[in-house]
Amino acid sequence: MQVLKADNLTKIYGSKRGRSYEALHHFHLTVNKGEFIGIMGPSGSGKTTLLNLLSTIDVPSSGKIIINEKNLTSFSQQKLAKFRRKEMGFIFQDYNLLETLTIGENILLPLTLNKMKVKEMEKRLVTVSKQLGIDTIIHKRIMEVSGGQMQRAAIARAIIHDPTIIFADEPTGNLDSKASLQVMESLRQLQQENQATTVMVTHDPFAASFCGRVIFIKDGRLFNEIHRGDNRQSFFQDILNVQSLLGGNTNDLQTIRF
Amino acid sequence: MTFRQFAFNNVKRNTRTYLSYFLSCMFAVIVFFMYAVVIFHPKIEKYDFRDIVQSGIIVSEVFIYLFSFLFVLYSTTSFIKSRKKEYGLLTTLGISKSQLNRLLITENTIIGLASIITGIIIGALLTKLFLMIFSAILGTGEILPFYLSWKAIGITVALFFIMFELNSIAVVWSLRTKSIMEVFRGTKTPKEKPRFSWILSLLALTAIGYSYYLAYTSDMISILYRMFIILALIIPGTYFLFTQFIIGFTTVLRRRKKYLYKDLNLLMISDLTYKLKDHARLLFIVTILSAVAFTSSGVLFGLFQSVEEESERFAPQDVTLISGGEENREAFEANVAEIESAFQQNYVPFEALTVYPTRLYSISTIDKWNDTPFIVYKYSDYKAMLQLNDREVPSKLKDNEGLILIQDIIRSYTMDFPEKLTFKSANERAELSVSTIDSDLNSTVYSSFQLIVSDHAFEQFIQHATADEKYFYYVMDIPNWVHHVDTIMDILPYTTTDEIYPDSQAEIYSSMKDSMSYLFFFGIFISVLFFLAAGSILYFRMYQDIDNDLSHYHSLYRIGLTNKEMKKIATRQLGFLFFLPFIIAVIHAGFAFKALQNMLVSSVMLPSIYIFLLYFVIHFFNFIFIRNIYTSKLKKVM
Repeated sequence: MQVLKADNLTKIYGSKRGRSYEALHHFHLTVNKGEFIGIMGPSGSGKTTLLNLLSTIDVPSSGKIIINEKNLTSFSQQKLAKFRRKEMGFIFQDYNLLETLTIGENILLPLTLNKMKVKEMEKRLVTVSKQLGIDTIIHKRIMEVSGGQMQRAAIARAIIHDPTIIFADEPTGNLDSKASLQVMESLRQLQQENQATTVMVTHDPFAASFCGRVIFIKDGRLFNEIHRGDNRQSFFQDILNVQSLLGGNTNDLQTIRF
Repeated sequence: MTFRQFAFNNVKRNTRTYLSYFLSCMFAVIVFFMYAVVIFHPKIEKYDFRDIVQSGIIVSEVFIYLFSFLFVLYSTTSFIKSRKKEYGLLTTLGISKSQLNRLLITENTIIGLASIITGIIIGALLTKLFLMIFSAILGTGEILPFYLSWKAIGITVALFFIMFELNSIAVVWSLRTKSIMEVFRGTKTPKEKPRFSWILSLLALTAIGYSYYLAYTSDMISILYRMFIILALIIPGTYFLFTQFIIGFTTVLRRRKKYLYKDLNLLMISDLTYKLKDHARLLFIVTILSAVAFTSSGVLFGLFQSVEEESERFAPQDVTLISGGEENREAFEANVAEIESAFQQNYVPFEALTVYPTRLYSISTIDKWNDTPFIVYKYSDYKAMLQLNDREVPSKLKDNEGLILIQDIIRSYTMDFPEKLTFKSANERAELSVSTIDSDLNSTVYSSFQLIVSDHAFEQFIQHATADEKYFYYVMDIPNWVHHVDTIMDILPYTTTDEIYPDSQAEIYSSMKDSMSYLFFFGIFISVLFFLAAGSILYFRMYQDIDNDLSHYHSLYRIGLTNKEMKKIATRQLGFLFFLPFIIAVIHAGFAFKALQNMLVSSVMLPSIYIFLLYFVIHFFNFIFIRNIYTSKLKKVM
């Protein structure tokens, strides 16, 4: 079943008079339910632009985005915001947790905005925090926990309202290898157990190797697309190969993790 | 690019960050300059009130200067704090400590000079208006001409330049003590969980409650010492109210899950808790400043408004003339004739009558009431005098009864009056059962107390009275006396050498009005200054917070908060921070007004409501202004 469809997406930055820059060029993408997709590419290739467009944080210059058979490009700002908090979950590189709230309150935030009963909220909080292994820290404050725990709290926040699709922007970008592994394991577990649909932007081949499909972007166009077989190790190798095909600096791509 | 150019560009290209700082400095300069213009105005030397007014102005100038000093110090400190990260960057790039200091001092000097120059220019433009208000309030008749003396400009420039330099040195010195790392981290140090103590919260509430009680139940005498107790309680009480109780209150609110998890409450309350904690001291200062402004302007305005009623209270009869002793009769009658013809010449309508009281001394076993002089009127004279003033007349007295009139000001001293008193003259004595009422006759130089007796009893005394026991009392009723105050003052023989003592509402009125108008002018001016300072401190702080808050709102935007909701949160939070101190200050001032009310007969209710409304309007516009800046910035996060 198709969850997300992006049609002919183009994004041009810059004013009419000044120099303009095409960050994304007639881009097509479809995402099916339960898929875990990685988007990779060298810096400046347009991968973050793509994610921002798909998640409606940014508006495309032309093209359509359809999620759950709704054409989001025709939505007003107000309606988009409401749609985002009902149908989408977000995971960011900088966690994007509010430091005035406890971990638990941060996770509950989307539910309070969507007006839910307190009992139901607390039940869900227990379920997701157990699933992500952070049930012991929900009363702690943001500053008191580690980066990996913060990111797992962010994941909990992204899934607590059962969104149609989860967007992750460099979720392991600020984490060490051990925490990265934990976070990626949780994301994969969610995909397998809850049939969560996830679109993730990353420059980290290790993180990408957890995906079912990885698409590569270069200069705003699709460069390549590879699917994962049974073995994550060999998929990781495939990703590295495509990356070297993409050219550029090998330092940029090589990872010393593992 | 030289170093000075770097500093200059820094200021030029950061106009937005510097703007609020610049404006608040300029404001201080404008106020100071306008007063300086009045001090050095050449025309002012001609007026006879010059000494009082000038010393009043000088006192206000000292106040303004000291106040601006603290105000600028506060502004500079918080301004420097908000730019700490920038200094951290410069430090890592290798700027030396002395260079950084020089940079800060140069920047501050540029802003200081700019605000002095623009402050003087704007002050000069406003001077004419200020002089008009000044002339109107002091009733100089003519408006002081526009005049800018070099002395005024010179003293403003010199004093404020020194102030800016001293302030920047002080700030630089305080920055010096912190390590580079601390500077670099700047405002980004993680926030601690707000803490509070229940005991301090309770103490704060008790202190405030008790001082309210003291103010509510005070009277003219007890307020004199209670004032200090109230101040000693209310200031720390308010401080702990903000630093402890309010934090405690929001913490309790956070525990109520049903309320907390509703809609935007979670975001609003948790964020507000931090803001209240961060701004507790600021809110305290703002509250105290506003309370002082409200109270002093309310009290002054109330007094100013009530001068007419208060003078009627101190002198119930419009004009009276008293003299005693047969030898003064001729002079007294001549004076009365003179006054009456003068009133007629000036077309001041009046009704008048002359009565002939006597004087008696009391005899009592109570020491206080022994040998006290009383001016004694017979009932029919008393009745005639009251009817002249259209007052109610008490019922007729029996021969063995006496009615003692007591001024309500001294009433609290004169309790435990004996039921029976013996009165004696040189040749006569009689025992009367006495009762007391509030006096509706003027007090006289001969006695603070008046006694009314029946006509029959009075005849007994007056028939045997000696020459010096005979008194003459002339009473006038002047409709609309307030309009003839100056005429009345000119006509009455205040300067006569005869033993004749005039007393009038006009006299009390004009002396009260005189002292009040000076007090009013300076008092209101300083209180408005306090209030504006409170407003701009608040404004300044909120303005600085915007940048920090924007990143917070950006996070919320990404997870799907609508613009409308962000506006709602921002408005409510700002509104809370703006109006919480305002409301507490209003309550504080309200009890101060109640204390004032206890001392006056006229109602201060209306004047105090006017004052609150006026301040509320100013405050509300300030709020709308900053809210609009804030919400227009919110659009940028998307």
